[in-house]
Amino acid sequence: MSRTLLTGNGAAAWGARLARVDYVPAFPITPQTEIIETIAKWVDTGEMDARMVTLESEHSMITAAGAAAATGVRVFTATSSQGLLYGMEMLYSVAGWRAPFVLVNVSRGLSSPLTLEPDHNDILAARDSGCLQIHCSTCQEVFDSMLIAYRLAEDERVRLPVIVNLDGFYLSFTREPVELPDQESVRDYVGSYDPETTLFRASAPSSQGVAVLGGGPYSYFRYELHLAARNALRVYDQVAGEFAGRFGRAHRAVEAYRMEDADIAFVMIGSFATKARAAVDRLRDDGWRVGLVRPRLLRPFPAAHLQRLLAGKRGAAVIDQNLSMGLGGVLHSEVASALYGQDGAPPTLVSFVAGLGGRDIADEEFFEMAAVTKRAIDKDETPPPRLLYTEAELREVRKLQAIAHVEYEQLRGASGANEGWRR
Amino acid sequence: MFRVRFHGRGGQGMKAASRILGNAFFLEGYEVQDAPRYGAERRGAPIFAYVRAGREPINERGIIRHPDLVIVADDSLIPVPGAGVMSGVDSRTVVLINSEESPKVWKQRLNFEGDVFTVPVETADRAELRFIGVTCVGAAARLLGAIKRETLSEAIRQELASLGSDIVQISLSKALAAFDSMQAQAGTVTPVKTASSAHFQPPDWIDLSLEDARASAPAIHAGATSIEVRTGLWRTLRPVIDHDRCNRCWWVCSTFCPDGAINVDTEGRPQIDYDHCKGCMICVAQCPPHAIRAISEREAQAAEVEEASK
Amino acid sequence: MSETQSRAAPVSEAKVTVYRRMKDLPSTHLLGSGTAMCAGCGGLEALHEVYDVIGAKSIFINAAGCMTLLSVYPFTPFRGSWLYTAMASAPAGAQGVRDALDILKQKKRMPAEEDMEVVVLTGDGSAYGMGLSSTSGAMERGLDFLYLCYDNEGYGNTGQQFSGATPHAARTATSKGKHGFAGYKKDLFSIWAAHKPAYVATVIGAEPLDLARKIEKAKGLEGPRLIIAMAPCPTGWDFDPQITVEVGRLAVRTGVWPLKEYVDGKIVHTKVPHERVAVENYLKLQGRFRHLFEPHRDDAMLGEIQARVDAYWADVTA
Repeated sequence: MSRTLLTGNGAAAWGARLARVDYVPAFPITPQTEIIETIAKWVDTGEMDARMVTLESEHSMITAAGAAAATGVRVFTATSSQGLLYGMEMLYSVAGWRAPFVLVNVSRGLSSPLTLEPDHNDILAARDSGCLQIHCSTCQEVFDSMLIAYRLAEDERVRLPVIVNLDGFYLSFTREPVELPDQESVRDYVGSYDPETTLFRASAPSSQGVAVLGGGPYSYFRYELHLAARNALRVYDQVAGEFAGRFGRAHRAVEAYRMEDADIAFVMIGSFATKARAAVDRLRDDGWRVGLVRPRLLRPFPAAHLQRLLAGKRGAAVIDQNLSMGLGGVLHSEVASALYGQDGAPPTLVSFVAGLGGRDIADEEFFEMAAVTKRAIDKDETPPPRLLYTEAELREVRKLQAIAHVEYEQLRGASGANEGWRR
Repeated sequence: MFRVRFHGRGGQGMKAASRILGNAFFLEGYEVQDAPRYGAERRGAPIFAYVRAGREPINERGIIRHPDLVIVADDSLIPVPGAGVMSGVDSRTVVLINSEESPKVWKQRLNFEGDVFTVPVETADRAELRFIGVTCVGAAARLLGAIKRETLSEAIRQELASLGSDIVQISLSKALAAFDSMQAQAGTVTPVKTASSAHFQPPDWIDLSLEDARASAPAIHAGATSIEVRTGLWRTLRPVIDHDRCNRCWWVCSTFCPDGAINVDTEGRPQIDYDHCKGCMICVAQCPPHAIRAISEREAQAAEVEEASK
Repeated sequence: MSETQSRAAPVSEAKVTVYRRMKDLPSTHLLGSGTAMCAGCGGLEALHEVYDVIGAKSIFINAAGCMTLLSVYPFTPFRGSWLYTAMASAPAGAQGVRDALDILKQKKRMPAEEDMEVVVLTGDGSAYGMGLSSTSGAMERGLDFLYLCYDNEGYGNTGQQFSGATPHAARTATSKGKHGFAGYKKDLFSIWAAHKPAYVATVIGAEPLDLARKIEKAKGLEGPRLIIAMAPCPTGWDFDPQITVEVGRLAVRTGVWPLKEYVDGKIVHTKVPHERVAVENYLKLQGRFRHLFEPHRDDAMLGEIQARVDAYWADVTA
């Protein structure tokens, strides 16, 4: 056991190494690249007994990952943003193969406009693929989640790929102390990959990923996939519990921070949730009864956990680092659907969209979100969804638009000129 | 919790500097977070990095808005608006600048009440640039008062090991000299409490309204707008043409300049556009009569200031 | 046939072939019947001939196309294994399977006799277009695999729209105009050969001996080995299923489909039609070229097509 400074990318690479993966199909993309560079170095020096192959695209990379897992080896792969979407067809396909492996996605906003900085639209685009999702908030959690992910993916009651998600920059390039267990105890925890019947052998012919005709068999196979994903909730609690017992770090499906006597909850995923945790501490210092609810598992969706944690609360501020065009925050709609009609569900659920493309969320903004939620509770009125965006930010955009030769006439909105804009 | 922000340029060892400081804190038993912050990594372009260190697990994340210590590895960055060197600085912030100028001069220039310290680094030779970061970190470690001399050495050895023992030795001597030079100022930096939710300035959130797609799509409706970017600010060395020696074979320097920053004037002489010259020195290397020489940008600017004041 | 399926040492020369005459071809066939392929399918004819030589110790990695419907739950004609991937990435699937098998052998988690020949099976739509990048990648990585493209010169499974493999003037569902398809068939053989893989060959089910020898040779080599099987398509080309073999033979005898191989850096034609039959004899059997003959004979176009074939062979004999 050693405690060392690692980036989120480094922690992911260490997870793959200590999980003793056999095969790493790869393709470079910022901000994930450090993961495959680190593994390439270990493979070169012989510190890692794995084969690494750089494919010509993420679509091919995920195909190779699924195909190798289906042949019976332990597979790790990693990507980010555009790469995850380029491979999206295969995410759905390989999940249907029921061939388990672990993919790390380093979240980064999607084009257009192109950006390098994080938000969660990339990983949420994979929401319905059948791949399970674990969202991390610290580098330690990235490492720990890697090990839990292999247990979860390979469990005979699940047999699905698992995506471990970490935010670009805020985790990928940020070093934090990470406790690395020794190889022996990880081996004991993760175990060896038993491909069971999911393998290709000369003596055991098998056809995988085949077509079906008709909605009857299609519905059966797809719903079984869904049931396996649902079953992963129970299996997650068990394997994460075992992890806590062995390594002393509890990673529940949903983290609850200072929720016991809270009236108001922040609900959010990912690394910025630690900022929410800091804000909870400050608000508590000043007498607010506030807590944080952070789903780590997003697929399967831990609806029952959320119902239990939020029961009896007066309101929740759901902070989405994503935007579903024409709807709003994805997490908000999922939390709302989990709570609708439930006994004790908080009557007020306020939607905030923040942190798109790596935009910071300031301490003051967390305080203000708590205040907005409190006012909504007191008035018993749910305010419209709010994008965290300041006048100063719009002024900066106006300067850029001037350089881009955007004409004033074009800036006039369908509903009149913007309040924040003066020529 | 200590919050330290580094400002420098690509190629000045900023990432390594932040990691050395982070590791030194870690070796002293602190909880730590360190990270570089850059877009596309470019030599000479402004970058920053940050270190947080505290006795409790760190929940803050991302950019440091209100630093306790600001380290400026390159004083030419201070006037660059996009670099944001003085952003969020208040009177209790300590500012450490790599500069030949005195702290007094900087306090005056910045109209800044807090503590300013300077640590000069020899930069005329471009090969020296990469040691700027490690020198600054030596001084910073002493100002923070939380890091022992041996711990700093150990952190440097660990972080720079892959660069070879020569680099480690040079780095050690530079960092420790800077550490020692700040003896009188040991422990000047004091962390302050974080923002209070009882007294805060509410954010001025606005509602965005729908705008015409011609404006609200990320399209640039003109050519060559990049000229507005002053990449001359990346330069640490300046090429200077000696027009007496220049034999006006402008097709050499002006063709090879990747940035198109050498143009020919009406008399057929090549002229360097210092607003955009990044200081790569290809022109110096290629000039057939050796009529272009490299001088320190810092010295060149100092000379210009002197000239202007005459 | 013999059941020595493990990748043997390279066969030095074709003369060691076990297929010296038609009588040497297998009389019992491995590929199961009962598939959804059209009656008279020239692609299936080629595949079953290929399969007899490759054997059941194989895994077919498939991309979207007609033959995706070979394995429809719960039916498969393969006695070995099968993995359907997607239209673009069958060679990447082969990469994953091949690598995994190698890892298992190397780490002694699988006995060597459990190994298999990894075979990519795609139509021309994938091979000439969407899958070309992943094929190129597999070749540049030196992947040890066999690629069988059944080329029916169009997106057959979706109703024969034109693809990168469609010949000039052919009418397809998306080139129904007066002159048919305006483009020209892409030279995939040369594109593949430019990667300098271990082996590239063209085959056709109508020439089974040539086909068997080439698959036999490919099987004896290591590295990327790629085969294009022209697949006369009664449905897409509009001819009576009973003449599939005749159309195929004519493709060879007219010189439209040169049978050749690339090995050791050289291209060798394995069947040179010395008395080449006029191309129109091949074209007029197919509804997709009927507009060249009816209502009026299009001599200009027929002349152009013949000239292109002649130009090809002029270079070969030169």
